Amino acid sequence: MYIIGENIHIISPRVKEALAEKNIRFFQELALKQVEAGAHYLDLNIGPQKKAGHEIMPWLVKGIQEVVDVPLVLDTTNLAAIEEGLKVAKHQCIINSTSAEEERLATVPPLAKKYNAKLIALTMGKSGIPVSAEERVNIALEYLIPRAVELGIPMEDLLIDPLVLTVSGCQEYCPECIEAIRLLKLAGDPPPMTNAGLSNVSNAVPNEMRPLINRTYLVMLMAVGLDYVIANPLDQQQNEFIRIITQRDDSTALGRLVLKLYDKTAAGERLTAEDVDMSDPDQVALFKTAQILYNQVIYTDSYLRV
Amino acid sequence: MPGIEVPKEKWSGKVREVTLGATAAEGGTRARTVTVGGETTLPFLKFEGEIPHPPAIAIEVRDQPPSDWPALLLQAWDGATQDVAEWAKAAEAAGADLVALRFNASEQLSAPYARQVLRRVLSATGLPLVVFGPGQADWDNEVLVAVAEEGKGERLVLGVCEEKNYRTIVAAALAHGHLVDARAPMDVNLSKQLNILIHDMGLPVERIIMDPTTGALGYGIEYGYSVMERLRIAALQGDSMTQLPMLVTPGEEAWRTKEARAAEGVPAAWGDYVKRAINWEVLTASTLIHSGADIVVLRHPESLRRVRAMINALIG
Repeated sequence: MYIIGENIHIISPRVKEALAEKNIRFFQELALKQVEAGAHYLDLNIGPQKKAGHEIMPWLVKGIQEVVDVPLVLDTTNLAAIEEGLKVAKHQCIINSTSAEEERLATVPPLAKKYNAKLIALTMGKSGIPVSAEERVNIALEYLIPRAVELGIPMEDLLIDPLVLTVSGCQEYCPECIEAIRLLKLAGDPPPMTNAGLSNVSNAVPNEMRPLINRTYLVMLMAVGLDYVIANPLDQQQNEFIRIITQRDDSTALGRLVLKLYDKTAAGERLTAEDVDMSDPDQVALFKTAQILYNQVIYTDSYLRV
Repeated sequence: MPGIEVPKEKWSGKVREVTLGATAAEGGTRARTVTVGGETTLPFLKFEGEIPHPPAIAIEVRDQPPSDWPALLLQAWDGATQDVAEWAKAAEAAGADLVALRFNASEQLSAPYARQVLRRVLSATGLPLVVFGPGQADWDNEVLVAVAEEGKGERLVLGVCEEKNYRTIVAAALAHGHLVDARAPMDVNLSKQLNILIHDMGLPVERIIMDPTTGALGYGIEYGYSVMERLRIAALQGDSMTQLPMLVTPGEEAWRTKEARAAEGVPAAWGDYVKRAINWEVLTASTLIHSGADIVVLRHPESLRRVRAMINALIG
């Protein structure tokens, strides 16, 4: 699984300020930090930037390429900005993103084809994001994959994103998104790649609780074959979970439970109370978090205390 | 139906039983108590699990005849609305299980006044009481704290207890042996969260009734219905902090609607006003009972009769 570092994002006030001041040092440092922490790609979310996007994106791409040697993800709705970024990029970029809406499909995939970029394609049509995994996969099968095939974009360059939504308010979407990834990996031979914006799962959750929810959900998404994840590469405990899974490190009790969650999710099963040593607070926290992500227990800000 | 096997869901959870009111033997003065909850299945599916107690019906009475109720509703009580004690007696005579005393937001409302009204209602009826303040957090606190003290030991339900004022109301319930009506604004997460916060203060779960808020038929009932259904399914699946009986106020919601208020100036297709108005309350309440309501607060005696008939017919 490839990690796309999410930290250069316009929603951060410091990023916004640095963009306004054209402070390339700030972005270079943030890029370096993420790559050193293990990011394979870097997402550059500059917002819509309707006026100056076509200048900002190439400026940012060039500046970041001076200090790191990883491919970049051009993340804006401004197509001109993306195109100018693609022109100066050293490596194969990822365009973030197209939806299944007609006007987006008409313009974004051809740009990916023209510059040989990868493309994140959201399973979202005019009427929004369906709850059920099947309906989301249907959007991929009916609109996203055929459009890529039509243009000759290979499946390894098409990253279908079934859209992670927050457990706080859209809880019923959480297990369905996992199933959507599972189904997408069975859709066609070869199947498309899959992508997920991980931290969305904990939007509107108190800050101190977000990392636990993020890393637990990541284990479950990895179990069903997630190929790319947009996430915070600086999160140490999340990196530790990824390491436990990739090395299958069962030397600690928590590690064994992480592997159990991974294996059971892969098999279409759920963790149960019998899997958990209830005297170990870390295991209990992981179990309770899995239960809210299964949509089995209703999420509340106090879910760990019950 | 020979040859057809009804599919059955096997639930692992159970709604907690909650008892309202206390008899003399239990430290109160009520003639009887009312227990709700205890279900191990969805409403009326007795072939699937236990439903030890039918949904209970409360009739809303006010300390003064409310100025914003349609005349039809006031007339239905045949003058009893002029005096809160008479109104409570009439509610009991009409077959209510509970009396829901609600204080109007009026100039005369004060702590001593609330105590006096409560005493009169307690002596007029032997039914357990739910007591609602005027619906403004600060004022509710003042009124409900006085009511809690005055009604010590009666196992009143104090409402509404919401995020803004739950600390005060829960403290009063703890000090004087009452229950609370935990109201959250039509949101499953906030409903459960409020239950947790209340329980954290030391109030036993068996003294919390969940009030998920609702809308009338045609005015958001589908949202209320979905929230209640979701909470109840979670309860039956074993989510312990949702395993509480639910109270809703379909009377209040239904009698706010144009359909229940407008006798004239509406399309002829709307039909007879009196029938329509009562139907609005009956259908709102019946629908909510089907989504898991354990207590419905109603206003019209005819609605009480009809909702009761539905419950009796379905509970078997």
